[in-house]
Amino acid sequence: MQAQNLELAIDSIRIRFGSQALTRAAELPPPRPWPSGTAVDRLTGIGGLPRGRLALFTGNGTCGKLSLGLSLLAGATREFAHAMVIDGGGFDPWTLTSFSPELGALTVVRAPAPEIAGEAAATLARAGAGFLLLMCEIPEHWLGPLESGANRSGTVVVGVIDAPSRALAHASSFSLGFSRSDWIWERGQLVGLRASARCVKNRVAPPLSETELEIRYPLSAQPLTDYTPRINEAPIQVIEMESCASAVV
Amino acid sequence: MRVCCGLTAHLELARRPDLYGTPVIVGRWDEHVVAASEETSAFGVLHGMALRQAEHLCPQATFVLPDEEAVVRIRELIAAALYDLAPVVEVRDEGIAWLDLSGVTNPGQSIRAARHRLLRAIGREPRLGLAPGPFSARLAAARARPGRLLRVADAREFLAALPSRELPLDAEQRERLDLLGLRTLGAVASVGPRELESQLGRDGRHAVLLARGLEPDQLDAWRPPLFTSAHRQFGEPVEDREALLFVARALCGDLADELGLRGAGAKHVRVRLIFDSTESEKRESIVRHPLSSATELFGLIGSWIKEWQPRAPIAELWIDLPVLEAAGRRQLRLWAGGDGSSEEVTAALERLQERFGDVIWQPLPA
Repeated sequence: MQAQNLELAIDSIRIRFGSQALTRAAELPPPRPWPSGTAVDRLTGIGGLPRGRLALFTGNGTCGKLSLGLSLLAGATREFAHAMVIDGGGFDPWTLTSFSPELGALTVVRAPAPEIAGEAAATLARAGAGFLLLMCEIPEHWLGPLESGANRSGTVVVGVIDAPSRALAHASSFSLGFSRSDWIWERGQLVGLRASARCVKNRVAPPLSETELEIRYPLSAQPLTDYTPRINEAPIQVIEMESCASAVV
Repeated sequence: MRVCCGLTAHLELARRPDLYGTPVIVGRWDEHVVAASEETSAFGVLHGMALRQAEHLCPQATFVLPDEEAVVRIRELIAAALYDLAPVVEVRDEGIAWLDLSGVTNPGQSIRAARHRLLRAIGREPRLGLAPGPFSARLAAARARPGRLLRVADAREFLAALPSRELPLDAEQRERLDLLGLRTLGAVASVGPRELESQLGRDGRHAVLLARGLEPDQLDAWRPPLFTSAHRQFGEPVEDREALLFVARALCGDLADELGLRGAGAKHVRVRLIFDSTESEKRESIVRHPLSSATELFGLIGSWIKEWQPRAPIAELWIDLPVLEAAGRRQLRLWAGGDGSSEEVTAALERLQERFGDVIWQPLPA
């Protein structure tokens, strides 16, 4: 009886709003990638960060996740009309300048409370912001609206969080775990770090890829014409695992 | 076109289900009969006759004053109940509900559901007719037993034997048809439209088309009202802001439920505080991105109430949503991937700014 009622409801919606008003999950198209031009594109397995999904960069302490996040954000400001940062308190916009962002497309939402962060993220994802960088935890009850909003509008959502909550980790479709392997010193000065980025969860392609990143810190102000990407993929060592087991967090 | 007609008693009679089974006549004194129950037809009471005459014919009937507002409410209730069963639904005060089932994949299920919903709304089993158009469907329903469906495949064949008084003509025109010897719809159908037009004017042409089963009339689709509001009257006037916020949150929840049922979103929000002295204060805003959930509504309204300084204790709180965005547009937007427009993002930012204050920061290019 319930199945009949459901079919009837589906029929009525299709009659009233067209055959495309409801789509079965199995008929939905695969996630479209946003090619960021960074090493992450290869790690996702689809040639870019998945649009409409939540990607997470995690790792303890200084391990390069924020630098990579800022690099993506700067790229997004050049490609999207709106690139947003949901800042829980640790975002310094001037650290972004070395990545040559298009500041006119950047908006920072200062969220003193997780509730504000959650609502802002869900609202902006639903409205269709091109890129969303989450710099703080999102309360569990906002993850559903955030996911569905991003899914509808195709927003690229990237979270940069040391240790995400179980709910956030579960909501993500793609997770990269960062760990610092070495500092880079030149002439006695700290100029960067080497980190390994390992895909620990991937719902859009087979998981388990890994790479080494070399991240150079900006040492001085640099004209835009001299801009060079500061995150390089170090001698790439892709570790192919033998078994392709699921890596759901 | 495939139209199902559910026929119930006049909606004036549906106001008094306690009088079902007894003769009831609805009308104002010195005026005409607005509605009469089936039980009065045996006494010769007809719709439209003088009430004095009806009383003379059936003195034992219960006489009820008409209530147009109540009828409108019942009509809206029935239309809303049938709205999701077919793309086009029309309900009339005479107790006629039409559903255009063209394109419905499982019309049988829709008809069964319509029967149950009409029964629940009116309290009596409807008569059901299924035919190629509204006119033939209504006549089929009138000839069905309560709770049963009469299906008509060939409208012209079905109509041919029926009396011509079923045509929507006034008494004078009917008399003229009678004088012309056109006593059945079959006879009317055999006359050319122009010929009857020369006798009865445009109604004559229309009558021929109806009698031929050509169904010249289209259904007038019911649309959900695009206005909604909720209010709460306080026993004692309220001064406490927390109490006001509590009530506002509950009202937002009620409105969000209603919006959810309609699949609509509010484009315009208005809050009114009515004081004990019947004076009032109001605040309203047009939102660029429609609000539909309780959180969104309370986000805006709560922020207003938090900073509101009413000049007197509040006796009543009203939340009006005068302009709603219709369901269709929202549904289309729901599945149109990647359509986030710059305007919508800007509107979302404005809304966040309004809710949380100075949280948005946009670095300007150097």
